[in-house]
Amino acid sequence: MAATTDHGEHTDAPASPPSPAPRRRGGGRIAAAVSLLGELLITAGLVLGLFVAYSLWWTNVVADREADKQGDKVRDHWAEDRGPVGLDTKDGIGFLHVPAMGGDEVLVKKGTSTKMLNNGVAGYYTDPVKSALPQDEKGNFSLAAHRDGHGAKFHDIDKLGKGDPIVFETKDNWYVYKVYATLPETSKFNVNVLAPVPKESGRTKAGRYITLTTCTPVYTSRYRYVVWGELDRVEKVDDERTPPPELR
Amino acid sequence: MYGFIWRHLPGNVWIKALLSVVLVLAAVYVLFQYVFPWAEPLLPFNDVTVDDQ
Repeated sequence: MAATTDHGEHTDAPASPPSPAPRRRGGGRIAAAVSLLGELLITAGLVLGLFVAYSLWWTNVVADREADKQGDKVRDHWAEDRGPVGLDTKDGIGFLHVPAMGGDEVLVKKGTSTKMLNNGVAGYYTDPVKSALPQDEKGNFSLAAHRDGHGAKFHDIDKLGKGDPIVFETKDNWYVYKVYATLPETSKFNVNVLAPVPKESGRTKAGRYITLTTCTPVYTSRYRYVVWGELDRVEKVDDERTPPPELR
Repeated sequence: MYGFIWRHLPGNVWIKALLSVVLVLAAVYVLFQYVFPWAEPLLPFNDVTVDDQ
């Protein structure tokens, strides 16, 4: 930058003698090219820095805002209509509460498309293995959410250990699951973890399971992190929506 | 490059400085609003699902 400015000042200066001018101009051109390259590299560095800020901060701001809006909408729907209506799959089926991951509620919606998960929600799988729903007699309720950025709802999945509660709240019920197995690292192609009876978790009989999946290690998505839980009990939601003891 | 822009901005130093800030903010806006959202899915940082493909 300095070289360019120098060069400019020199050409502007009317009193400079004519003889050294050509040499200076040739040198100035190289200097200008080098300084342009330098400036482009600095710019590239700044853009990459901004991208990190975007990924780890801004996407969270946007996603949390969107998730709050969608969550409020679901709660409004629940409040409006007191009839015996089942799960509302379009706007979201309920909220996930995991005290070990910080205790913020996570809205759960249908599907695991990037576009939807980017709104700071968790999604239940429809593909490649169709998830069961909590109220189903048997099956595996399998969920995915972001580890970093876009709400980072499963950021602290590694804090979950055996026996920790995972509570899923629907309009009428609290489904209390207990973690019984974790898989800190597996291939992203390992769809068996979503099976109705997830054999890798050590279970062989049909039951009511919950599976959380996200990427690992943090800030990359080289592998997948999996946590399995099993239904402990179902509590009816009362008029005050008193949470089960696990969440108090 | 930046020297070139600076020299071609109109006005005195204060106006140039103000215009520079506006240009920087515009660049950041375009990056955050259009460029990064486009680039992000192309980079392997944020795939969270298991998949058989």
